[in-house]
Amino acid sequence: MDEEYDAIVLGTGLKECILSGMLSVSGKKVLHVDRNKYYGGESASICPLDELFSKFGAPPPDESYGRGRDWNVDLIPKFLMANGQLVKLLIHTGVTRYLEFKSVEGSYVYKGGKISKVPVDQKEALASDLMGMFEKRRFRNFLVYVQDYAEQDPRSWKEFDAQNQTMQELYEKFGLDKNTQDFTGHALALYRDDDYLQTAAITTIRRIKLYSDSLARYGKSPYLYPMYGLGELPQGFARLSAIYGGTYMLDKPIDEIVLGEGGRVVGVRSGNEVAKCKQVYCDPSYVPEKVHKKGRVVRCICLLDHPIPNTRDALSTQIIIPQKQLCRNSDIYISVVSFTHQVAAKGWFVAMVSTAVETDEPEMEIRPALDLLGPIKQKFVSVSDYFVPTDNGLESQIFISESFDATTHFETTCLDVLDIFKRGTGEEFDFSKIKHELGEEEQ
Amino acid sequence: MANRTSAAQRPNGSTQGKICQFKLVLLGESAVGKSSLVLRFVKGQFHEYQESTIGAAFLTQTVCLDDTTVKFEIWDTAGQERYHSLAPMYYRGAQAAIVVYDITNQDTFARAKTWVKELQRQASPNIVIALAGNKQDLANKRMVEYEEAQAHAEENGLLFMETSAKTAMNVNDIFLAIAKKLPKNEQTTGPGGSGQGRRLVEGDSGAKAAGNCCK
Repeated sequence: MDEEYDAIVLGTGLKECILSGMLSVSGKKVLHVDRNKYYGGESASICPLDELFSKFGAPPPDESYGRGRDWNVDLIPKFLMANGQLVKLLIHTGVTRYLEFKSVEGSYVYKGGKISKVPVDQKEALASDLMGMFEKRRFRNFLVYVQDYAEQDPRSWKEFDAQNQTMQELYEKFGLDKNTQDFTGHALALYRDDDYLQTAAITTIRRIKLYSDSLARYGKSPYLYPMYGLGELPQGFARLSAIYGGTYMLDKPIDEIVLGEGGRVVGVRSGNEVAKCKQVYCDPSYVPEKVHKKGRVVRCICLLDHPIPNTRDALSTQIIIPQKQLCRNSDIYISVVSFTHQVAAKGWFVAMVSTAVETDEPEMEIRPALDLLGPIKQKFVSVSDYFVPTDNGLESQIFISESFDATTHFETTCLDVLDIFKRGTGEEFDFSKIKHELGEEEQ
Repeated sequence: MANRTSAAQRPNGSTQGKICQFKLVLLGESAVGKSSLVLRFVKGQFHEYQESTIGAAFLTQTVCLDDTTVKFEIWDTAGQERYHSLAPMYYRGAQAAIVVYDITNQDTFARAKTWVKELQRQASPNIVIALAGNKQDLANKRMVEYEEAQAHAEENGLLFMETSAKTAMNVNDIFLAIAKKLPKNEQTTGPGGSGQGRRLVEGDSGAKAAGNCCK
């Protein structure tokens, strides 16, 4: 450890692993350390099952749960948008070759106490019970407009200035009712609250396009999920970093981030060893004095021995409960994966309910979501603080990621990573630096 | 990753036999010659001062057996073994492993034994494991007896050969021996084998773009 590095990365969560990979690829000498003896930090998938039970202080699982090693249970629920930033990063870095994915089967939205499939094509839109007859036609016109909208081609704007006019105005232009606005904004544009209504419509147009482009890639839903759980993602990027010379140390406690003149980082101390470095990249848990709590997220892991009722026995699915439906300020998400993703023993399902905490009783807040799941064999509730850095790193050269937010996909994760990379290196990440012989795959 | 079986297009043009693809992982202490063995096998090269593994930790090579072509997808540790920080992903779905030690260094043999245990614990139960005593060209400095390693291999059901990446001794042979021992029918993918998902590639559109949303 007693060497000098360009950058020391602390924590092996997904964000830190992507950064580590990008830094190594860019020719930096990287030391990557985690205090835990496993990869992934907050974004790990827990295996075997006993470990999950003991993590939450529950007695060990009985034999009905099958082989413990067949389980890989995520601590945070997220899916990948098939046409989103993370998929682009995976493909451009070649990390995709270490992973396999499955499409999530469908997406549902909650309305008036029951769930309906989010319509993915015109046929489904026409059959959907989410809208009345005339509303369906208006919704279709709206979708066609968004699809044809080209930012470079004013003719496609149809006399609507999406850069300056609000989303509320665009909805009104098409005469969409509150209910349609609700599922468009929350189940297609994936907003967690209604602030977007008063901002420029262009952002929402882009989000709906991301949704439909993602959907167009693999069909049933815009979401992908990695086999063996989300914990594979940080491992894949860690491997990229290692291949480009990054040094890995797990199970290594960090006692101090050593500062020099002007509060600038000069190294990292573990026991009596000090590794020198020019920069540190880390998650909030390594620098509690440099982050502040912006909110709380409640997550409930539910183990089920059956699919979710009313989802046509889907082996994977997402259910969104728009905030207004429960008189809340933020949406509740349910994500479901199963044994077909090698994250549970044969016949088992893992459902995760999550949302931003709004009251003193987070468990009560997610009650309506839990009620949709049918009988729950075991549930584990956790409430985590959501931290954001108070230091942008430009002086201290300590670059801190934000905690994982309550969003249902990795788009904000990637934005945070790309922003940190730019702050840290002063440049955008150059994908052309990845050598093609990295794979040396024939074909 | 999967044990994919399909009709093979032979180099001579005749279509017969099948291609089976297997994930093979290398394990062993730093500097025992893991990368050198792979480079010798895949490219026929040897470098006296091979750098620590950088930039090429994923190679493929095929071996032909009678009517079957066995394609190895070879994963090198990329140095993550150095501080015992190898990711579980590395073992995941591996159908074969070569555990390498240096015959001139007793510690590397002790470490090889723990890697074998680790594989038996972490990897899929029907993984084919080979033990390779590398640097056989330095037999005059030998610290690990051939018989000792062979006995360990027999006890644990491992293939065993002493190899030399430098002289190429037994390098092709050990991969060939593994290829012969691997199951070649479709039903044999163990529980730790293929996850049966898809790999993502650029421009992948799943041929489903037509008729979808909003068109």
